[in-house]
Amino acid sequence: MNVSLQWLSDHIDISDYSMTRLDELLTFAGIEVEGVRSLPDHLVVAEILSSEKHPDAEKLSVCQVDDGSGTPRQIVCGAKNYQVGDKVPLALPGCVLDAGDGRTFSIREGKLRGIDSLGMMCSAKEIGLGEGEDGLLILSSSLVPGTPLGEVFPAVFELEITPNRPDCLSHLGVARELAALAKKPLKGLVHHGVSTTPVKSAAADEITLSSETCPYYTARILRGVKVTESPAWLKAKLESIGLRPINNIVDLTNYVLFETGQPLHAFDLAKLDGGIVVRAAAEGEKFLALNGEEYELSADDLVIADRTKAVAIGGVMGGEDSGVTETTTDVLLEAAYFAPAAVRRTGRRLGIHSDSSYRFERGVDPLQIAGVSDFAVQLILELAGGTADPELLVAGAAPAGPKPVALDNDYCRAVIGAPLDDGTIEEILSSLGLEKEGDAWAIPSYRLDLVRAIDLVEEVARVHGLDKVPSRTRATFSATSKADQFYDFLRSVQDRLAGLGFYETRNLKLVSAAQLADDLATTHRGMSPVRLKNPLNDEQDYLRPGLIPGLLASAARNQRFGRHDLRLFEAGRVFTATPKGEEIEHEHLALLLTGARVRRSWADSKPSLLDIHDLRGVLEQICPEGLNFVTIEDPRLLCACRIEIGAGKKAAAIGLAGIVPPARARELDIATPVLVAEMNLKKLMAARRGDPTHADLPKFPGSSRDVAMLVPRNLPAGAVADFLRAHPEPLLQSFELFDLFEDPEGVKLAKDKKSLAWSILYRSPDRTLESHEVETAHAKLLDSLRSGLHVDFR
Amino acid sequence: MLTELDTIQTEALAAIRDVAEETALEAARVGFLGKKGRLTVAGAGMRDVPAERKKDVGQKLNEVRTAITSALEEKSAELIARRDAAAFASIDPTLPGRPLPQGGLHPLTLVLDEAVRILRRMGFALAEGPEIESEWHCFDALNTPADHPARNETDTFYFENGKLLRTHTSSVQIRTMEKEIPPVRIIAPGSAFRRDEIDATHLSAFHQLEGLYVDRGVSLADLKGTLEYFFREIFGSKTEVRFRPHFFPFTEPSFEVDLKLHAAGRAAKWIEIAGCGMVDPAVFTEVGAKRGDAAYDPDSVTGFAFGMGLDRLAMIMYGIPDLRLLIENELRFLEQFRG
Repeated sequence: MNVSLQWLSDHIDISDYSMTRLDELLTFAGIEVEGVRSLPDHLVVAEILSSEKHPDAEKLSVCQVDDGSGTPRQIVCGAKNYQVGDKVPLALPGCVLDAGDGRTFSIREGKLRGIDSLGMMCSAKEIGLGEGEDGLLILSSSLVPGTPLGEVFPAVFELEITPNRPDCLSHLGVARELAALAKKPLKGLVHHGVSTTPVKSAAADEITLSSETCPYYTARILRGVKVTESPAWLKAKLESIGLRPINNIVDLTNYVLFETGQPLHAFDLAKLDGGIVVRAAAEGEKFLALNGEEYELSADDLVIADRTKAVAIGGVMGGEDSGVTETTTDVLLEAAYFAPAAVRRTGRRLGIHSDSSYRFERGVDPLQIAGVSDFAVQLILELAGGTADPELLVAGAAPAGPKPVALDNDYCRAVIGAPLDDGTIEEILSSLGLEKEGDAWAIPSYRLDLVRAIDLVEEVARVHGLDKVPSRTRATFSATSKADQFYDFLRSVQDRLAGLGFYETRNLKLVSAAQLADDLATTHRGMSPVRLKNPLNDEQDYLRPGLIPGLLASAARNQRFGRHDLRLFEAGRVFTATPKGEEIEHEHLALLLTGARVRRSWADSKPSLLDIHDLRGVLEQICPEGLNFVTIEDPRLLCACRIEIGAGKKAAAIGLAGIVPPARARELDIATPVLVAEMNLKKLMAARRGDPTHADLPKFPGSSRDVAMLVPRNLPAGAVADFLRAHPEPLLQSFELFDLFEDPEGVKLAKDKKSLAWSILYRSPDRTLESHEVETAHAKLLDSLRSGLHVDFR
Repeated sequence: MLTELDTIQTEALAAIRDVAEETALEAARVGFLGKKGRLTVAGAGMRDVPAERKKDVGQKLNEVRTAITSALEEKSAELIARRDAAAFASIDPTLPGRPLPQGGLHPLTLVLDEAVRILRRMGFALAEGPEIESEWHCFDALNTPADHPARNETDTFYFENGKLLRTHTSSVQIRTMEKEIPPVRIIAPGSAFRRDEIDATHLSAFHQLEGLYVDRGVSLADLKGTLEYFFREIFGSKTEVRFRPHFFPFTEPSFEVDLKLHAAGRAAKWIEIAGCGMVDPAVFTEVGAKRGDAAYDPDSVTGFAFGMGLDRLAMIMYGIPDLRLLIENELRFLEQFRG
């Protein structure tokens, strides 16, 4: 809300407060100052009397201007957009202008290319009145030279009023707040709580209320008014806060709204067909509002109507056809109370946000409605003449004001944590207009937010200021939570991957339908991705079911910038829905590798490309517990493998690994094999061994035997490893594949065969094995391999 | 004989001195000390030495052997050292290092981790909750009016079944209080979602860090001390922190926290960094009703809560001008944070 300082001074004398101090006062009372428009001193209206070319500078002119002092002042100027006789802003020596960026510069008398220049004529931008065009700001020709520009453009604060403080949505309200904060008196009324006009209960044909959302409606009839342009003071007030003057009646209702916070509406009585009916709109009822838009209403909306038609959307906006125009002579002035929730619903549904609805939906002071009506009528009679009916027509009753609130000062001190004495607490509450009544405080009718003791504590804390509360540091011991354990595990995985040359990525958790095709995480039938009901656009209409879609997008983006060698990972939450529609969230980890294995350098000028064995090597680093790739069929990947931890019956599947189909990679302009893996981090964590247990170091040496076996080329090494692992030989300690040989030419080896060479270690925990024991065990193993796996030996 | 021994020694030492290769040194060793070497042969002459001179000659023989042996060893060490040096002589240590893959963590992880490390030292444990939330956990339990604008479908992502994407991590406050009894001292980092078009200062999915401390006698003074300590740990012990009164539905009194920070080359400026306040008693009442016990009776416990945007914190800490950089994952960006 824009608040004019000059307007505020109708209510409170704050001339001793600088703009900065006022800004601070408001800010630390919880009213955010979003912007300040304030013109500096020594900035006046000047008339350009003459303009001649600068003798030594092509682009400059030498002007004589009238600054109101009686003696012409010489100014050298670079602008071209003026004519002699124009009125422009003139910064006199001593004027301090904002240079932007928090810096300022001062105007001094000086010479420009040898010619005296005793000030500076300004553009709108230079004096902070807008970004505007270049060139001087040409002012209204009616202004008198020498007038301080601050009077032409009074200082305005742009305030952000929090939703709990509708009482501050007016100049009177802000003045009340300042009075409490600055400990100053108000010049006049605290609010318009008193009406001197006799009240007449409206007859049914005068006002009918048929909706709970309008419990209270008043109307005052004025006859014989003259609708004209508003006087200068009124226009200036409205313009100062950015409103466009229309005519004296409309301007006055706007003025009263920004003065008191109570929205009013003036109807042209001649355009009303019979009395006022406040009713729910008919479903589908059409309404042409004064903003020129036609709205289709629902039964949930409230309208102000006459006998035949709606003339306003209650509390939101008047109608195009019933408002006050130059031909209006008789006026019905509405002052009413509309239920906040209903106004908010209608405003939101229709997309109308008016100054009226803004106030009604936050709550207006229920006890000043009649008083404000009086105040407005008085102003109309002064400015537009005519006569007012002696009585205020009233239907319904204004809602009750706030109830008294009890406050235990000890509670207040305990919540704030500072030793405030009773006097300080009570002084603060009193300054805000609360009155002590025994143990409780009577609440002014405009403070609808003060309902509970904590609301009063907030007032004390706010006005006292947290800067005066001593800081305290105390802690409670906290046990390690499951989330702590997971965090630490995740951090160790992140660090390990970064150490292995991976960059961590964080992709948006919202993905497009097209990206779902890249997903690898959804492995169970019946699970489906989670779709938003109200996506922002079709690039972000699903929650990511897995991390690969994002990683591929990141890989593609890096390719576009010439980064072809990538090792990326992401850890984060993914989302799926069960067949029953229940959403499940998992923590996943995904890796993506593509491009060269090492950076090209003098050491390796033609590095080989990363392959799936690099991927597995990385996974073995982050799961030291023993990890297996089990080949599976999956159309989404080449070389698809299920990642398992542990062997045999204890094997736990934790994810999927493989090669992105090259066709898909080419779509993303990636020419090298793209290796990916995605796994469930919680499963990985669960499979992790606990604290290590020390095992005695072997006391006796082992003995190893190498065996090179010739197997069909399509027999996975993993199958041999499984066989070796399952071999029931107590002396067999461990085995390792140390050579793989294939000959695609079929010269040294048949094309359909490969040679796998293993080193097998035999050891006994309680003695050094005799050579014959090792030979016997090894021979048994070879027999078993021959009969079990049909392998030959080289 | 003594003369002969002297001669052998002189010749041996000269021969050894002139040797340039290990094979020649070995030949010299064999020539003087081998089975048929000159000293060995001369030593065999001991038999013919008269008994009374055996001692002197024997002593001389030993001296000569020792001198030759040590000369051999010395020369051998010299030759080995020369060979070793030659083996590495052609190495150019000024070549760039053999490249290993380089990686790093995302700046958001770095910021989060710093915050978590500090807050853990201050006795906070981590907590988490679902990102797909019920309206009750995200709004109702947090004292947000039924017609609050934040609940609008224009502002918040919903699902067909009525659930929503949490708009703040404050829902974890509720999740935690449902399960745990006071004292509760937790922090909850996590994603939050708002229906904002993505631009330099908005992301539809962003990151927050929530904090909650509920106990007997928790006050604004504790909140102030906690956040001052936290931000001074991050930004330096001289950092100015101020608390501006504000409004949030789920805390009362509520404050926004500003830090006075220097951007490079600019004057220090107050920058909004967090929201905080005392847990509104209505939140405790709502949680109590759900729990069905008096663990969170607002007459016996108080608490503070705070929340801050981690993406914004990263922008401030690292001078990142555009939030989109945080989700584009360009190596050119990520490499800057390799640390």
